[in-house]
Amino acid sequence: MTPTLQLTIEAQGYFSNCTHCGFCLAVCPTYKLTGDENNSPRGRLRLWSEEAAGRLQQDKWTDFYTAECVGCLACETACPATVPYGEIFEHVRHEHVASHRFKPKLALRLAAAAVTHPMLFNLAMLPARLLRSAGLSMHRFLFPGRPSALKSTAAYAEELMQRHRPTGPRVAFLTGCLMEAMFREINFATVRVLIENNVQVIIPDGQGCCGAFQEHTGLDGVEALRDQNRRAFGPLDVEAIVSNSSGCGYALGKTLQPNKQVRDVLGFLGELGPVRRPRARDDGTRLYVDLPCHLVHGQKAAGIPAKVLDATGYRWELAPKAKDCCGSGGVYNIQKPENASAILADKSAFLNEAEGAPVILGTSNHVCMMQWHSAGATGLVTRPYEVKHIIQLLDPGEKFSIPSTSPQP
Amino acid sequence: MTSPVKDSLEHQLKALLPRGRVLTSAAQLAGYGADGLGYKNHLPDAVVIPADAEELAGFMQGARALGVPVVMRGAGTSLSGGPVAAQGGVIVHTSALKKIREINTEGFWCEVECGVGLNDLDAALKPHGVFYPPDPSSGPVCTLGGNVASNAGGAHCFRYGVTSNYVLGVEAIMLDGSLHRFGGPAGGRGPWREDWKRFMIGSEGTLAAFTRFWLRLLPLPEKVWTFRATYPDMKTTEAAIHALVAHSSYPAAIEMLDPRGVAMVESSQMACGLPEGSFMLLVEIDGPEALVNARVQSVAEILRHAGSQDVMFSDEDALRQKLWKARKASGGLLGQLSPSYVVQDAVIPKRALAEVLQLVYDEADAANIRAVNVFHAGDGNLHPNFLFDSRVPGELEKVELISKRLMQRVIEVGGTLSGEHGIGNDKSAYMPLVFGPDSMRLQLSVPAAFNPAHQMNPLKVFDNRRFVA
Repeated sequence: MTPTLQLTIEAQGYFSNCTHCGFCLAVCPTYKLTGDENNSPRGRLRLWSEEAAGRLQQDKWTDFYTAECVGCLACETACPATVPYGEIFEHVRHEHVASHRFKPKLALRLAAAAVTHPMLFNLAMLPARLLRSAGLSMHRFLFPGRPSALKSTAAYAEELMQRHRPTGPRVAFLTGCLMEAMFREINFATVRVLIENNVQVIIPDGQGCCGAFQEHTGLDGVEALRDQNRRAFGPLDVEAIVSNSSGCGYALGKTLQPNKQVRDVLGFLGELGPVRRPRARDDGTRLYVDLPCHLVHGQKAAGIPAKVLDATGYRWELAPKAKDCCGSGGVYNIQKPENASAILADKSAFLNEAEGAPVILGTSNHVCMMQWHSAGATGLVTRPYEVKHIIQLLDPGEKFSIPSTSPQP
Repeated sequence: MTSPVKDSLEHQLKALLPRGRVLTSAAQLAGYGADGLGYKNHLPDAVVIPADAEELAGFMQGARALGVPVVMRGAGTSLSGGPVAAQGGVIVHTSALKKIREINTEGFWCEVECGVGLNDLDAALKPHGVFYPPDPSSGPVCTLGGNVASNAGGAHCFRYGVTSNYVLGVEAIMLDGSLHRFGGPAGGRGPWREDWKRFMIGSEGTLAAFTRFWLRLLPLPEKVWTFRATYPDMKTTEAAIHALVAHSSYPAAIEMLDPRGVAMVESSQMACGLPEGSFMLLVEIDGPEALVNARVQSVAEILRHAGSQDVMFSDEDALRQKLWKARKASGGLLGQLSPSYVVQDAVIPKRALAEVLQLVYDEADAANIRAVNVFHAGDGNLHPNFLFDSRVPGELEKVELISKRLMQRVIEVGGTLSGEHGIGNDKSAYMPLVFGPDSMRLQLSVPAAFNPAHQMNPLKVFDNRRFVA
């Protein structure tokens, strides 16, 4: 039998790292959902390696189980043999798309093409920004917010830098594509929080989409985006490159390694010890913190620093199963909505009984925020709750000044 | 890949499992070719995933008529080639049977379905202040069904005992569809017949399908202290082990990592500063706070007196985890070193420890195979890991030859084949080394009584135990 899966020698070497111990089964959302070993990392690796070795013919079930993977990377954290599952998976998915074994949904293919042209994408999303601003967005993924319709994050950052003249560490900020086009208010809040903490914010010209969209869909074009970002971020003389989306940060981090490290903005702020937001003594708000997969399993961060969560001023605790996937998986909730909803149903059930008035579900990735918002919009959670990016809970608002006690250069 | 026979099997299975899943495509069977012994592949003809216990019972009623072997499988983490279709047939994956049906804190027992994960059970028990002691390293994944089938052990079994000490009752379904309960919550003090359950524990799927268990629980220990010490040679290490075992502060666990294991940990990202060439001992004591605290210094003194210069100990969770790090990491690190490994599971009298370890080194070195020893030293349960590459012709044969010589010596010194992993199809060839023909015949009569044609998990435990349709 001739192998149909054209894996590089390197990837074949990775397969052999898997000793078949099975530790990945317990953390895999699709194994937990289906109880089918083929639908687990150990099972998928077996299918791919058998096909690559010519022992298994191309099979629609291999395509099915490959497409079922959320890409949450929880298996990488669980793997004692450090099998780079994500890298192998990305490779296989790209190959499946290139050879027409898997076709991403039309909306995703269109979006993947659009994000490679940020100007066009921003323009195309203008109506959506206007609707969100007016509080009229009804889509299950569109959590409420007030994004600026026209002013870009770059222009806003420059304005605030002029006004406040921070003197602390210099960081370059990845504004992202969907983040900038749709959820710009989070970018604005990020700029305000950084500057209030005396951080100098630079928004490099010419930065592009991090490539995560292509990675998640298996579509072509990721290398061009990586090159673009290497050119935009590579030569910068900054103390850190920060991202406010753990998925984008993870993708850019892979692009820039080993020369530059990309930090999650909350991790970076944790080291500075951010300005604390005062809350009323009788504030009954409870913050439940969910940890994005690409933060803890991708970037391998321990979590969101307690100093940062304390600085929100709210009484907080980790959401149950905080390190398990919520089902968003980049674009998984669009590609495989039934699975994504079943995963979310289990994860979000606690909110129905959670203490607090109001209740906030806080996280640090816009795609997870969309997924969490859909729990309410689709009736999985029946009590009111808000979905917020943690950076929004540190936001000083438009009127702020840099405290004199801020970290100095 | 389709054939009339296979189509007919698929048809029959779908009729038996209207709600569950039936997998028959080549790519659906590939994932079920192996257990934790990844390099040995045995493809089943079909896999079924019953939706619940009722459906499993329905399946067992029609299973005999299928005329193919029936193999029960939990999470497939076993290291003995147990839950694989060595003679083809149907694998029954119990992944959907994961209900914890009752936690009874007054009677100190719980009732669980066979597919409940071990650590999931522990997490559910913890808020009640109770625990289930057996703790195989595969705890995050493995199921109680697999634990009972292989009579699993773990690090803390030195004091607490293995799975069989905690099974009060087993519910099992025979191939004729009849459902039997051996024991139950009243367990240990039930009528004499309840000890029939002992046939079930460790039966490795050769007798019946388990559906649920009643398990004995203990109160969570108030206090745990963890000790770590290193020794320059085997002689001093052995002295420490003997002294610990003989001392009145009987530890819950005595674990050991040999210098090759230490070197493996220290050259990885899990390095924790263990001296080169040292033997590492890890010891844990637990119990009522005042009692355990009073014993801390005497345990540390035993470890020092035997010749350790670097005894460390703590009762803080974070520090305790650090002390455990080298031991816990070692299993997975094997995978980073080599594509395949075989882990043996021999139990030997402790006095023979140094001699048998030396044999492992000599044999492995002579064959140019890497060997790492990470094991339960307190009860003499060795785990020599032989690292090899199954893709290189001849390597597996070398490892099998070393294993056989090792087993021969183990038997000579009064040891036995398996402490906790089971026999499966990996160690069945060694059975005649321990048991004579009469004993083998007697043992074989047990599965023959439960399923006369040996339809349940054939070619396991006894390598001539074959299903004849």
